[in-house]
Amino acid sequence: MNRTIVAAGLGLALVTPQTAAAADQESVKVGFVTELTGPWSFFGTACVAGLKFAEATLNPPGKRKIEFIQIDNQTQPTQAVAAARNLDIQSKVIALSGPTSSDTALAIYGYAEQNKVPFLVPVAAFPQLTKPGTRYSFRIEPNAAGWGYAIAEFVAKQKPGAKIALMHSDFALMRAISAGLKYQAAKKGLKIEPEIVFPQGSNDATVQAAQVLAANPDYVVVVGAGGFDNTITNQLLDVGIKPEKIIHPYGMATQVKGWGKRSVGSLYGTFFDANLDTVTAEGRKFIDDFKAQNKRLPSYVENYCYVTSQIIREVIDADPKAGDDREVFRNTLSALKSKEVTSGIPIEFDKNGARKEYIYFMQIQDVGEVEYKSKPVFTTNWDPEIIPVYDLVK
Amino acid sequence: MPTELVLISTLFTGLMLGVIFSLVAAGVTIIYGSIWMPNAANGQFFLLAALALWSAAVSWGLHPVVAALLVIGASVPASLLLEQMLIRRFYDVPNRNVSYFVLSLGITQILAGLFSVTYGVWSDQFQIPPLMAGITFLGPFPVSNSRLAALVTGVALLAALFALLRYHKYGRAIRAVFQNRDAASLRGVNVRAIYRLSFVLGNLVVAAGGVLYAFAYSFDLSVSWSMSITAFAIMIIGGPGSVVGAVAVGMVFGFTQAIVSAFASPTVATFSYLGAMLLILLMKPSGLFAR
Repeated sequence: MNRTIVAAGLGLALVTPQTAAAADQESVKVGFVTELTGPWSFFGTACVAGLKFAEATLNPPGKRKIEFIQIDNQTQPTQAVAAARNLDIQSKVIALSGPTSSDTALAIYGYAEQNKVPFLVPVAAFPQLTKPGTRYSFRIEPNAAGWGYAIAEFVAKQKPGAKIALMHSDFALMRAISAGLKYQAAKKGLKIEPEIVFPQGSNDATVQAAQVLAANPDYVVVVGAGGFDNTITNQLLDVGIKPEKIIHPYGMATQVKGWGKRSVGSLYGTFFDANLDTVTAEGRKFIDDFKAQNKRLPSYVENYCYVTSQIIREVIDADPKAGDDREVFRNTLSALKSKEVTSGIPIEFDKNGARKEYIYFMQIQDVGEVEYKSKPVFTTNWDPEIIPVYDLVK
Repeated sequence: MPTELVLISTLFTGLMLGVIFSLVAAGVTIIYGSIWMPNAANGQFFLLAALALWSAAVSWGLHPVVAALLVIGASVPASLLLEQMLIRRFYDVPNRNVSYFVLSLGITQILAGLFSVTYGVWSDQFQIPPLMAGITFLGPFPVSNSRLAALVTGVALLAALFALLRYHKYGRAIRAVFQNRDAASLRGVNVRAIYRLSFVLGNLVVAAGGVLYAFAYSFDLSVSWSMSITAFAIMIIGGPGSVVGAVAVGMVFGFTQAIVSAFASPTVATFSYLGAMLLILLMKPSGLFAR
């Protein structure tokens, strides 16, 4: 008994000063360069909304404080690099994070790798962000070529030999999705016809919707950028394409709302969704709190930014030196084996900083003002290099 | 049936885009023809109208028609205010078109920044509730009644603009100032009042274009830049100051974009008309309908 008390007392004596010391230490600064303005701001602001919820519980008493320094990159790669440099040199951040656009993430990637700054990408899916040889960059979101791979797998399961019409905007993200889809479609005996590429800034898809209708495909994969995604979807529905044939590789809550009630029956890919049964208790609380504050459901973008702060917390907790030494931070992050607190999905990075990848395909059941209902119809996961992602998209 | 479907959809798209391009270019050329202001901010004014319509119809819940009338109507006092605060100060400045261009670039940057920090959060959500429910079949091609209504309204507005410029005394005065402001002044036209009227009318037409565009398409903040470049290109090819030129070339641009988009690719379509612009300007530097 006495031994137990003495041991407990010694343990307390050893732990208390340490935790107190951790809390007293200078806060760990993380640079969060994201898209608060510019064409991708709907992603960046959604990300920050998710991060904000995580920040509320990020710094429990006794733990070293983590502070996110947010900077708007205006959805411009040059601004993103300038912000990264400023955060590195002036603010002396331990790591960088934040971009939700592949274009800005790629710009920071170059800076981070060259200057040995750990870079945790929450929501950007261009494959080259984790190309072979990558050392300091880690990506939470599955790579976009893999999404294309998953679509081909899904379609092949639904209808072997199916014909897919592919309509996509000409952004890095969409090119990567299309490349993965075309690669795996060929292997699965699926036909891609027609493939229609829209340049950035496109505003009309009427003629292309008619061309797709005339081609009579089994599925139409639509990957438009921003508001143009709604335009394509609406114009496909206008000409009489059935919603059950339409597949969006990714769907945020705002997108689902934009597609509207007419899109009930259509499909979208996601990595986190309020309609999934696999959401954890913390994830459910996050969803409820987010909905109460933002009058809409969170989706994978908000979730990944929420999870970003969780990962950084775990890295700092795993090795106290990680808060002061970038190399230690990088090594600790690379060795991390955890799970997303919101979904239970494993977090583990490969040698290039990519995760074991996964996707859910959901079918929309109903679209309301605040909420929407959808059900999972297909789930798959894959190794990041199950297809030659780094050769498919340069 | 597939060929007919694609053909009719191409014609409809050409007409829809052509009407919107024509309206915006007509607005730009009315202002340039009268006060020599190459208004680089036309795309932002166009976007402002579309965003205001979205706010009125979606956020405030007004009926789309009421919202549209409110937005187009609001462009009049807004233009008068801008004219009084900024535009009229340059009326007597030599080479004022350069000053105006720089001024309008400044307005463009300010508005772009404002839109970015205010509306940017919703930039994937700009859709207006339909003007009318249902669809109408043009042969095998189904068109939403809302887009059809936007097209008919656009054509009616262009006709009204022509009628105003041709038959109304103020319209004739605007044309007189276009042709020769000194002679117009000698004939009793209040040139400064016509400047003001032209500025208001031009912006009203641009706002109408923005409103109709928002009814016909989902949009995002980037539409301002593409519209700005397109309107300028149309004005230059049509002949600065020529409303007939703006409408004719606007329709040509709309059909060119639709046809090239259908039979080549949307990517080729985006620069095809700009290539055509360079060719035409090489042959006729003053524009097709220059006075």
